[in-house]
Amino acid sequence: MVVADPIITLDGVSKTFGATQAVSDVSFQVMPGRCVGWLGPNGSGKTTLIRCMLGLARTTKGTITVRGHAIPGDVRQALTRVGAIVEEPRFYPYLSGKSNLEVAAKFVGGDAAKRIDWALERVDLTDRSGSKVKEYSLGMRQRLGVARSLLNDPELLILDEPSNGLDPAGIVEFRRMIRSFVEDDGRTVFISSHLLDEVQKMADDIAIVQSGKLVLHGSVEQLVAEGRQSMRLRVDDPVRAEETLYRLGLVSGIKQGEHGNLELTGERIDDAKAILVTRSLVEAGVGVIEIARESESLEQRFLEITSSLPLEGESEHAS
Amino acid sequence: MIAATLRTITGRKGSFLGGATVVLVVVVIVIAANVVIHELRPGRNPSMGGQAMLDGVGGALFIVGVVVAILIGSLAGSYDVAQGTMRYLVITGARRGQIYAARIVAVVLAVLLMLAVPLTLGAVLAVALPHTAADSITAVELVDFVWTAALLAVVFGLISMGIGSLLRSNGPAIAISLVFSIGFTPLLLLLYSLNDTLGDATLASSLDRISGGDDGLPIAAAGVSVVLWVAAFLAAGAVRVHRDEY
Repeated sequence: MVVADPIITLDGVSKTFGATQAVSDVSFQVMPGRCVGWLGPNGSGKTTLIRCMLGLARTTKGTITVRGHAIPGDVRQALTRVGAIVEEPRFYPYLSGKSNLEVAAKFVGGDAAKRIDWALERVDLTDRSGSKVKEYSLGMRQRLGVARSLLNDPELLILDEPSNGLDPAGIVEFRRMIRSFVEDDGRTVFISSHLLDEVQKMADDIAIVQSGKLVLHGSVEQLVAEGRQSMRLRVDDPVRAEETLYRLGLVSGIKQGEHGNLELTGERIDDAKAILVTRSLVEAGVGVIEIARESESLEQRFLEITSSLPLEGESEHAS
Repeated sequence: MIAATLRTITGRKGSFLGGATVVLVVVVIVIAANVVIHELRPGRNPSMGGQAMLDGVGGALFIVGVVVAILIGSLAGSYDVAQGTMRYLVITGARRGQIYAARIVAVVLAVLLMLAVPLTLGAVLAVALPHTAADSITAVELVDFVWTAALLAVVFGLISMGIGSLLRSNGPAIAISLVFSIGFTPLLLLLYSLNDTLGDATLASSLDRISGGDDGLPIAAAGVSVVLWVAAFLAAGAVRVHRDEY
């Protein structure tokens, strides 16, 4: 089995601005063909690290490799097939959307000019490509930013808050587009966003940074699975149900609500445990009327992780 | 890359198209004034065209053309950083030095484009409109007229580009460029009171020498002096572009 090389490798990367430590000893890898959500509270160092990856800012310590090329030493080669939006897409407002892409294509070189119409079509801006950018809404500028980042047929897209300014329909469309980049085109997408619900639906992997330190890196599935899970039951005899479940030690917490509702919490309430709970209740003579299993959302996990860490505390690094 | 940069400069209607229009209007006013004063007092102003026309248009371009060149140059230096587009040029993978070099060439071309119509108009009308034998002009004088106007505008345009690249902010870039070019450059001529060679090496004196002046450094040395003045500002801007984080 051939294991692909990581498309991004960060090794002990730190960045300081004067006395301020913006990024502290961050190490992780991004594998090709994945969509990675890059999360963190405001001011946690997300954009700084993205700027370092793109050669826009220099690291104070550590090494960054993108597509097998060191940054910033070999930045030209590294960025040959990298597209990016950093903070927000900026354009020449007095030029049309298409003219802006033509200007960018001249700097990109190669076949970039031939991809302009395709890129505009991909972000659904063909009809407005002749309008000046100063007449564009924020959402249209975001889409034009994505179109510009596609000009070099990127293997890697680094998108910093790309869904800012998009309306709900635009967000759904944007999510489909990102998934299509990953699933249909085989591109890697590294995306930072505040819309955690969207990231949960869009990303394969998650990295969380806080106070400049990487505090968690893993798959979305794994991260959510490691969170608290609960079952909601409606039974005909909540008292007997509670006694039965405590005696069996199947859950760590039971909360009684009205009308026979029970909320059970536990570390891992998987299928087997759910079956065991219902079977035990039935065998104990408790009638189960309704049953629903719930997992913590990424948003809940994110808040749990970031709020439980001291601002300058030890970080838990994972590769 | 040069064509793309030129497009971003000439697309700025306020500084380029607006500036070029102002220069053209001023030149047209000077030409019209020449014609009118000739018609009103032909005895006192015997020529419409000829040297009188070149002097009038050249004088207008010396002031207005240089000011517009300063606007074009300083904005070319500062705009991409101020607007936030510089980072998107850098992440195309283009070398910062290439981006800067393309900008230098584009500023030269933009300034020449801005001057093209008024210079052509002035030169053609100077030859075509009636003038006395005493006001007749030679080909060398025509070339000198074009060279002087273009030289001054290009030099101050490039110096302003260096200043704009250093300051990264449009308003201050324009202000400091104007102060340097219109205020500080003539002020440096005070160096003559200390030492003649120092005075000769000032930008104003060196420019005057290579644009037809008789006094000062040898022409080659004056040329080198002008190149060094421009290079100093451009180099300072280049260092900033190379080192900056975007």
